[in-house]
Amino acid sequence: MTAPTQTRTVAYDLLLTLVEAGFTLATGVPCSLLKGAFALLEEPDADLAALRYLPAPREDTALGVASGAAVAGGRAVTLMQNSGLGYCLNVLTSFNLIYDVPTLLIVSWRGHDDTDAVEHQVIGRELTNLLDLFELPYVVLDPAEARASTTAAIETMNRRQRCTALIVRDQL
Amino acid sequence: MALTLAAVARQLLARHPDACVVSSCGYPSRELYNAGDRPGNFYLVGSMGMAAPIALGIASIHPRLMVIAIDGDGSLLMNLGVLPMVAAARPRLIHVVCDNGMHESTGGQATTQRADFVALALAAGYRSAIRIEQPAELAEAEPAGTPTLLHVLTEPRRGGIGQRVQLSPRQLVERLQPALN
Repeated sequence: MTAPTQTRTVAYDLLLTLVEAGFTLATGVPCSLLKGAFALLEEPDADLAALRYLPAPREDTALGVASGAAVAGGRAVTLMQNSGLGYCLNVLTSFNLIYDVPTLLIVSWRGHDDTDAVEHQVIGRELTNLLDLFELPYVVLDPAEARASTTAAIETMNRRQRCTALIVRDQL
Repeated sequence: MALTLAAVARQLLARHPDACVVSSCGYPSRELYNAGDRPGNFYLVGSMGMAAPIALGIASIHPRLMVIAIDGDGSLLMNLGVLPMVAAARPRLIHVVCDNGMHESTGGQATTQRADFVALALAAGYRSAIRIEQPAELAEAEPAGTPTLLHVLTEPRRGGIGQRVQLSPRQLVERLQPALN
């Protein structure tokens, strides 16, 4: 396996920041914008191996698994395309937001401008409004500062005690 | 004598006193609560279909702990996709499906046609799955490995349902973690 120091990518920095923050479980459903992160989750090097990856059939199920881990005292992250946030709304509103169980969400932002495919346009236009509606904090990932953005999202989640989204606009 | 959800809950608590038990919203949570409240019981009040995912998450953090998920037929049918995910993760998990063929919590409406949850679980990769129709079969069930699914045929409750869970969701979380360690 290639030495990570020679291939440090935004995805690598993001995941390494999670490992260093004590995250041990990652789950979710892939998005092409997140493919770099999923590739590392599927074949982690020694430094990322502490992050066990469980592929999920659907985003709400992934969030349920991550929430169970959080209830048990662990730290888990859920990766998804923004389309999956719709599936997650019931778990967010009838579990996380009433049991006060925060988890970190990594959410891609397909359709953030009007050049993306039609199926992404509505959710892309409303993504941050949807998060605001349920008072779910978010941080938009700065690819030049992946570690700082990831840390900011974790710290926001810890401070606000609400599920927090790290939004990924550019392909990892 | 056919099994009831209440009898299943009582038997599971008696047989697995150290297990963490996650129950699906509606009657499963209420029956478990009234069968014997304890800190290791984690009642869902919403998020139908999430009992097994949340149980899997707990089991993934505490791999030696026995975790039991109590689903209904309606709540598992809502999220059959969880079966292969549970199977792949190989948790120490007993997935109990109390199948009365109806959405009893909302008035007894039909679910879909009766499903063979044993076949579904085995096809998804569960290590074992057992169909249970009589109380003695539940008491004697010896799964050959986990994750396992117990497909328990139950009849609807005859008397009134017991009280709702009296603890707040936040209280349930706070008391669960110490019970797991």
